[in-house]
Amino acid sequence: MSMSVAAPRTVGRWRLMPARGTLSLFELVLLAAFVALVAVRLPQNLQDVVVLTFLWAGLALAWNLAGGYAGLISFGHAAFFGIGAYTSTILTAHLGVTPWIGLWIAGLLAAAAGAVVAMICARLRGPFFILSTLAAAEVVRIGALNWVTLTGGPEGLSILPTPSAANMVFASKTAYAVLMLVYLVVVYGVTKVVEGSRYGYYLLAVRDDEDAASAAGVNPLFMRTSAMALSAMLTGIGGTLFAQYFLYLDPTHVISPELSFQLALLPALGGLGTAIGPVLGSVVITPLSELLRSYLGHAAAGLHLAIYGGVLIAVMLHFPGGIAAALDRLATRWRKRAP
Amino acid sequence: MTALLELRHVGRAFGSLWAVRDVSLSVGKGEVLGLIGPNGAGKSTLYNLIAGALPPSEGEILFEGRRISGLAPYQVARAGIARTFQIPKPYRHLTVVDNVVLSALLHDKSVAAARRSAEAVLADVGLADYAEASVNVLTAGLLKRLEVARALALAPRLVLFDEIMAGLTPTEVKMMTGLVASLPARGTTVIWVEHVLYAIMSAAHRIVVLHRGELIADGPPKKIAKDPGVIKAYLGEEMSLA
Repeated sequence: MSMSVAAPRTVGRWRLMPARGTLSLFELVLLAAFVALVAVRLPQNLQDVVVLTFLWAGLALAWNLAGGYAGLISFGHAAFFGIGAYTSTILTAHLGVTPWIGLWIAGLLAAAAGAVVAMICARLRGPFFILSTLAAAEVVRIGALNWVTLTGGPEGLSILPTPSAANMVFASKTAYAVLMLVYLVVVYGVTKVVEGSRYGYYLLAVRDDEDAASAAGVNPLFMRTSAMALSAMLTGIGGTLFAQYFLYLDPTHVISPELSFQLALLPALGGLGTAIGPVLGSVVITPLSELLRSYLGHAAAGLHLAIYGGVLIAVMLHFPGGIAAALDRLATRWRKRAP
Repeated sequence: MTALLELRHVGRAFGSLWAVRDVSLSVGKGEVLGLIGPNGAGKSTLYNLIAGALPPSEGEILFEGRRISGLAPYQVARAGIARTFQIPKPYRHLTVVDNVVLSALLHDKSVAAARRSAEAVLADVGLADYAEASVNVLTAGLLKRLEVARALALAPRLVLFDEIMAGLTPTEVKMMTGLVASLPARGTTVIWVEHVLYAIMSAAHRIVVLHRGELIADGPPKKIAKDPGVIKAYLGEEMSLA
């Protein structure tokens, strides 16, 4: 009684399709396509879409470290995003610290917030955990709205729009596209290293069965806390980059529940607990959302949201395991057909 | 034989009900100790107490002379005690081999080394052919074997088996009994809860009987099979051992 498992398809020494712990041809081709998108001269509004697609892909990957690998489904990641965005902006405005340094402090503060949330919610599972993260983010949003001396309250904060590389403010969208692509590649690299390591395996164990993981010597509280801290840190850094791109932030936009949902939605559509999933989720959804808004946003107000929602439902119904799982099935079919 | 595990007047109450009461037990290094008793006797509670899943209400538990009662389950596992779960708890989204790799990672720091260890253990329990399969295709019997593989991949000095023969075919029972009997020679002491009596009677060196939370008998299998108290509480009739 043996289970025959077809060998994965390879081209030379490279695997064709993404797999845990190794790099595949698919990923390299996608990276090349991203580099090409940065290099070619696109119209301004399309460049905007490229920048946002990269940023959202990085953020979705960061969310996925906790939500996908460790099973800590969070509807509160906007809090870490907001903490990151505000930290670097406030450091620049009040102390003249460049965002190049500020983004690390932003990451550390967000990580601390993530660890605190994980520890407070240590005993909560499933919907109770999810609701608690949502509530925690609301606390941060309301705090930011009311701590006017620090955050500017509902009026928000602006970043001086004078281009200056030292202050991470650029005149060209290409520079931002490079910045976001670097962010995406770094978060992707972190994800690949995690998923191929002992630590990554332990995350999966805690996600799938906490009792069994404990019996295997894994400390669930440590795993949950550290996964949330790592995820929050990378999300916070993404927040800083977002602030430097938009040059304006207010609590209603950067710490909104809608943002939290979006951060969870992209990896869920792309494929939870895979590295390629959140990237594919952003590649499909971000351009759709942005282009629908820019083409239909004023012509037929509301229509873009209806189409967007319809596509989301179609993708979720058709690809229950996400786009990554659909790709996997496709690859398996090829494999079986191959001689 | 030096005592590897020692229970001193261990008890656990749930409200006013004592699931385990005043159990004192010493398990020697290299033993295969059978633990039997009717349903509700407190066997699983006793396992949960040893493995750290429940703190004892009274008494203390020592492993290699060190107090382990009060430790968390992951600390007990790191101390060298592995357990299986009566109802298998596989990692549902992982392959069979990855389920075992997760245990092997306790000692092997790299995933590649853990994979080699895991493959060796899978061969021991006869699951090598299923290494790359999803755990969701495994039958009840194969899931039991996976539980055993995950416990053994921790390279424990003491393993607690909980009804690992339930749902196995007679051929599988024979293979697994041989595996259990071989463990002391590999440095693993065994405590074994089992209802498949012919398996435990043939492989255990010593058997203790738990009834209503208390130990009522302790001795070699042949003596236990003829013990009037055990017959009344659990066996129902005298067992003839070949």
